[in-house]
Amino acid sequence: MSSASTADTVEPTAALGAPEQPMIRAAGLVKHYGSVRAVQDVSLEVGRGEIVGFLGPNGAGKSTTMRMLTGYLHPDAGEVQIAGHPMESEGRQARAALGYLPESTPLYSDMRVDRYLQFVGELRGLSRRARADALERVFEATDLAGYTQRKIGTLSKGYRQRVGLAQALISDPEVLILDEPTSGLDPAEIVRVRDRIVALAETKTILLSTHVLPEVEEVCRRVIILAGGRIVADGSLLDLSAGREECLLVTLVAPEAQAQVACSEIQGVMTCSVSGRGNNGRLRLQLEVSERFDVAERLSALAHDRCWPLLELRHDVPTLERVFLDCTRAGARGEGI
Amino acid sequence: MSRTLAIFKREWVAAFDSPVAYVTIGLFVLVQAGLFFFMGYPIGPVPLPSLWAGGQASLIVLFTWLPLLLAFLVPALTMGTWSEERSTGTEELLLTHPVHIREVVLGKFLASWLLVCLLVTLSILPVAWTVSGLGHLDWSTVWCGLAGAFLLGAGYVALAQVVSALSSHQLLAFLMGALVLGMLWVLRLLVDVLPVQLAALVDYACPSTHFLDSAARGVLDLRDAVYFALLVALGLILNALVVEGRRWR
Repeated sequence: MSSASTADTVEPTAALGAPEQPMIRAAGLVKHYGSVRAVQDVSLEVGRGEIVGFLGPNGAGKSTTMRMLTGYLHPDAGEVQIAGHPMESEGRQARAALGYLPESTPLYSDMRVDRYLQFVGELRGLSRRARADALERVFEATDLAGYTQRKIGTLSKGYRQRVGLAQALISDPEVLILDEPTSGLDPAEIVRVRDRIVALAETKTILLSTHVLPEVEEVCRRVIILAGGRIVADGSLLDLSAGREECLLVTLVAPEAQAQVACSEIQGVMTCSVSGRGNNGRLRLQLEVSERFDVAERLSALAHDRCWPLLELRHDVPTLERVFLDCTRAGARGEGI
Repeated sequence: MSRTLAIFKREWVAAFDSPVAYVTIGLFVLVQAGLFFFMGYPIGPVPLPSLWAGGQASLIVLFTWLPLLLAFLVPALTMGTWSEERSTGTEELLLTHPVHIREVVLGKFLASWLLVCLLVTLSILPVAWTVSGLGHLDWSTVWCGLAGAFLLGAGYVALAQVVSALSSHQLLAFLMGALVLGMLWVLRLLVDVLPVQLAALVDYACPSTHFLDSAARGVLDLRDAVYFALLVALGLILNALVVEGRRWR
């Protein structure tokens, strides 16, 4: 499935009439672990300046895909390009163009923060002077200034995450691939990391994997959802929500059986289910409808005719959570969205 | 080359950041000295007496123990080289930087080899100075033996690092490494019971042969240097293939 260009995504700028090449490009990626097909035919493109949320339930193949994108794992089939460099034939240039923060932030616990970042700078081919400048820059960007002499093993999870982000930024790469960067952090640290990612998104292309859906809603303009090793959705949240059945949540005082039958018969209602029961005969119904305003009008007329006190009637806006659940359920059934 | 140097420096500093290197070096120096001065070398068809029993100003006992002791010591020093990278996940981050696997393999090899050279030097030179104070010691034999020990150490390190790359558990890497190097040492003892042609082949394949029959006796043979160079090359290539192969799995 190729990437869907949407109104909300930043379109690659055209140079001399030709579209600019994507900063991250994967075509037909396949990866097996033994007989298990972890990733099947994953294709995606992320343009310059985009920040894309990469979502999926556990075991969906997100980390495996990211490992292939970063060149750690070779795909069984398909190809990866980073900033126009094919990972197979120009691996060094491709990896030089990206900064990667793997899940669980694996760092050398025995090293001091500054020495570790010096080491990463050397691996990335920075000169002595460039390393000194880079260290100063990343210490400031990640608020590590007071912790440069500390051994990594003595740092809290939050500070380890900062060091992980600092190493990804040390050579100022154009592309960042971040695998669950806020996992296991306290709420204050999550906000800090999120703010940092938003700031980075002004100048970089970012692929962000996370289980925290509000984070994606806040940070990303486009999401790619993976389920069962396949991409099941790709687009802006608005696009992914569009075309989905709208929902009305109704709370009224009425006999359950009669209310359910009557509501089901309202024109425009596709499904009606009881989502809760309260005291004094209160009943909460969830209606999937084709057009919410017409149905709401008919529903209030029905309640008035039957003398059922209507306590609440509200529109259930499709959240990313709902989109995610719908997509991943559909993905598990083998359907694309 | 700068990336190889970066890996080398990291490994070298890391080796001295944990007590393993200090304890291993201390134990090795003490055991070597104890065996040399008091026990001699009782293994094989021609046992060698200790310094006090034999009364000869020679380090042959020290050098003869070296292949066996290094068969345990080298895996102890190299067990974490790759297995720890795997178990902690740092391998993933390391190999997604713009480095070639061969640069990482070479950097790690050089750091471990230099550590083994340091350790061998620390265990031999103080004993040599002591012996030279007691009688006439042929120093050319000592330097020759030391150079041979460095080559032997290089071959052992290259093989032990392959084993470390195969496992994600340090202890398992140590046991497997000691088993492989120990087997190579034991093979030389079996030469007498093997058919002549097979014995010659087995004898030639054993790293200790290329040390004990030449450098340890004060003879520098280019063929032995070539043998160890090939052994190291084989080890490094296998090491790179094992790490690279894991990325295809």
